[in-house]
Amino acid sequence: MSVRSEVLLWAQRVVARGTGTPAHVLLEIKIDSSVEDAQDAFHKIARTGHPDLHRASLTAEEIELVTTAYARVAGAYQEFRQKNMQTMRMRPLKDDPPPPRKTPSSDRIAALRPQSKTPEGMAPINRSGTLPGVGVPAAGSPSPSSSAPGAPGPMNSKALIYYRKAEMCLRQGDLKTAVLNMKMAIAGDPQSTFLRTALAEIESELAKK
Amino acid sequence: MSVALGIDLGTTNSVAAIATPTGVEFILGPRGERVHPSVVAFPASGGVVVGPDAKRYRLTEPHHVIHSAKRFIGQNIRAPMVQLAMTGVRYRIEEGPNQQPIVVVRDRRMTMPEISSNVLLHLKRCAERQLGTPIKDAVVTVPANFTDGQRQATKEAGRLAGLDVMRLINEPTAAALAYGFGRDRQQLICVFDFGGGTFDVSLLRLNGEVFEVLASEGDFFLGGDDLDRALGEVLASECNRILRVDPRQNAAMMMKLMMGAEAIKIHLSENDAAEGEIDGLDMPGAAGGRLPFQITRKQFEELIAGYVNRTIEVTKQILISTGIDVTQVSDILCVGGSTRIPLVRQRLAETFRKEVNTKINPDEVVAQGAAIQAGSLVGNLHSGSGMGARDAVATAGHSMLGAAGNVVLPAHQAKRPVLMDVNPATLAIHTAGGFTERLLDKNAPIPIERTRVFTTSRDNQTRVENRRYVENEPLGTLVLENLPAKPRGDLQIEVSFRVDSDGILHVRAADQTSGAQQEAHLEVFGAPTAATEQ
Repeated sequence: MSVRSEVLLWAQRVVARGTGTPAHVLLEIKIDSSVEDAQDAFHKIARTGHPDLHRASLTAEEIELVTTAYARVAGAYQEFRQKNMQTMRMRPLKDDPPPPRKTPSSDRIAALRPQSKTPEGMAPINRSGTLPGVGVPAAGSPSPSSSAPGAPGPMNSKALIYYRKAEMCLRQGDLKTAVLNMKMAIAGDPQSTFLRTALAEIESELAKK
Repeated sequence: MSVALGIDLGTTNSVAAIATPTGVEFILGPRGERVHPSVVAFPASGGVVVGPDAKRYRLTEPHHVIHSAKRFIGQNIRAPMVQLAMTGVRYRIEEGPNQQPIVVVRDRRMTMPEISSNVLLHLKRCAERQLGTPIKDAVVTVPANFTDGQRQATKEAGRLAGLDVMRLINEPTAAALAYGFGRDRQQLICVFDFGGGTFDVSLLRLNGEVFEVLASEGDFFLGGDDLDRALGEVLASECNRILRVDPRQNAAMMMKLMMGAEAIKIHLSENDAAEGEIDGLDMPGAAGGRLPFQITRKQFEELIAGYVNRTIEVTKQILISTGIDVTQVSDILCVGGSTRIPLVRQRLAETFRKEVNTKINPDEVVAQGAAIQAGSLVGNLHSGSGMGARDAVATAGHSMLGAAGNVVLPAHQAKRPVLMDVNPATLAIHTAGGFTERLLDKNAPIPIERTRVFTTSRDNQTRVENRRYVENEPLGTLVLENLPAKPRGDLQIEVSFRVDSDGILHVRAADQTSGAQQEAHLEVFGAPTAATEQ
C-alpha cells in the first residue's frame, strides 16, 4: 500500500470516530499508559500523519481531512497529558506521611537547602507526586519521630508552581521572595496546612535575620 | 519545480532565503546585502522606498519613515504596551476601525499590514531578480508569542505583497530547524531569541527528523530597540547638560541620538569603551552641533541590566514550567542581534552552566530555517537531495559574500522535517454566569482541535455570544446566530475550536441534534476587517 493511501485511511478512521472519542483510542495506546508512551505514540503518528509531509502529494480536500485527523489526535494528546499530569500531582503518597506539625521548626527549611541530596538546580517532579528532597528526609537533617518532614501532598498546579518557585528562592537564599511565592501558593491552595506551616517557618527564619 | 521563499520578517531587519539542492541561498539586496532593514520611507519626492535607502531618510524626514512596524501589526491600539511603544516612534499613528493602529503619512492612511507588505514586496522583487523566476509561495516567521491577531495581520501583509503565505512558523522553531535539520540529533535544546523588538525563549526536543517544541515563552515588547532607547535617553540628558538643548522636543535630533546609541551599543559588544562625538546635530538656531560622549561597557551593562534580567527570568520560568533541569539542555542557540551583547551571553552561560553556542549566525539562522520549511512544504526537499544542515558552521566572519562557503552537505540522507510547533497562548472561554473554561492550553502541539458543547441559557434564544480570552486579554467575541428557537438547555451546539499550523484560531459549529452546520464567527479585536481592506 502506498504511503498516500495509508495516511488517508488513517485519517478517515480517526475522523469517523467522531469528536467524543477518548484520548487513548485516538493515540492507539492503552488507557493506563504513561505520558512518555503517549508522547512516543504521538511522535510515531506525526512522522507519518503530519499534514505538512503530504502537502505536495495530496489534494486540498485530502489535506483538510489529514489536518483534521492530526489536529484531533493532537487534542487527544494534550488531553491525555493534562489528565495524567493532574493525577500525577494529585495522587497522594502510597504510605501517607503524617500531617505536618503545627509548631514551626527549621528542619523542613533545612531539607529545602542545597545540603539536601536534591540534585543541583531544579527539582524535577517525580512519579509519586512529591518533590525530591522534600518528600524524603534530607540526608543529615534530624528526622523527627520516625516521620518524613512532611510532603507537599496533594496540591493544585498553581500552588505547586509557586511552591517550586519559593523552593528555588530558598536555595538561592532569597527569603523575602520565597515568602512572596509562598503566599501566592497559599492563594492558589488556601486549604493546605503544609503550605501555611512552611510559610510560618520561612517567616520565622527571616525574622531571625 | 516551484521555488518558495523563507522570510524572517524582523522588527528592525528582514532576511530572505531559499532552499536549493546544495544548501540555503540568501536573497541579496540591490547592493549585495543579505540583511534588509525593515524600514519603509515615503519621501517628499513621492513613491515608496524600502531597505537601506529608506533608512537614510530617517534623518531628513523622520515623520515619514516607518520603522518597527512589527511592534504594531495586528495590535489593539488601546493596549497599554502599544501606547508606550507609540512614544518611541516619530511617525503618526491613529486609531482605525476595530481598534487597529493606522499610520498616517503624507495624507495617506495605511494599515500596519500594508506597511509590512512593502517590505515583503521588496524581498520578493529582490528574489525574483536574483533567481529569474516569479515567486508566489513563502514561509514567514513570527515571534513565538505572537497572538492570533498579529498572525492574521502578518498573513494579510503577505497577501498584499502578492505572496501565498503557506505557513507562519515561530522564529525559535525555525532556528532550531536550521540547527538540527539533516543531522539526526537526539537532544534537548534551548533557543534564546533576543532580537530588535521581541524576545522569545523556547525549549525543543530534537528527535531525528521530529522537532517538538516543548514550551515557548517570551516578552513581546523587549528587544534591542529598548536597549537603544535606554542609551539614547542618557545621551539626550547629556545633550541637555552640555549643549543646553533638550533634544526630546526635536524629532530629527532625537533620531540622530538614537542612531548614535545603536552604533555605540554595537561598538561596546566588541570593545570595552566607546568614546567620540556625535556630530551633525541640527539644533534650533545653530546647525551642526557636536555631542561628545564617553561610555564604558560596564556603564552600558548597568544601564541594560534590568532588561537582561527580565530575559533571564523568563528563561528560568520556562525551565520551571516544563520541569526540565538545566543539565538536560545540551545546547543553547543564540538568535537575534541582541544576543551579541557579552552580558547576555554571560548571564545565559551562568544560567545553563555551560557556554552558549556562538557558531551560528544570529541574524540569518531564522531565515535559513524558514527556507528549509518552505522547501519542505513545496516538496523541494527530497531525502537524499543533498539539502542539509549547513547553518551552524556558517559564521566564518559573518561574511557578506560567499554563500557557497557555508554549505556543508550532510553525511547521510536528510528526511523531511516534522515540525511540531506549539499553541502560542492559552485560549479560554467566558460564558454566562461568569464561568471561564480553558479550551486549548498554551504549548499544546498544533494543529490542534478540541470541541465543546454549548447550549442556550434562556428559552427561545436565537443568538449566543461568548467572549474569548487569550492570557486574560480579550481576544474577541464568538457569535452563534440564527439558532432554532427551543426551550433553554434543549439546544446542543457542538463548537470545534481549531488552532491551525499557523497558530491561527478557527471556529466551526454544528447542531448536535440535527447535525446542521451553524453560523459561527469570531470577531477579533485589532484584526483587519473587510471595511479597512479597501
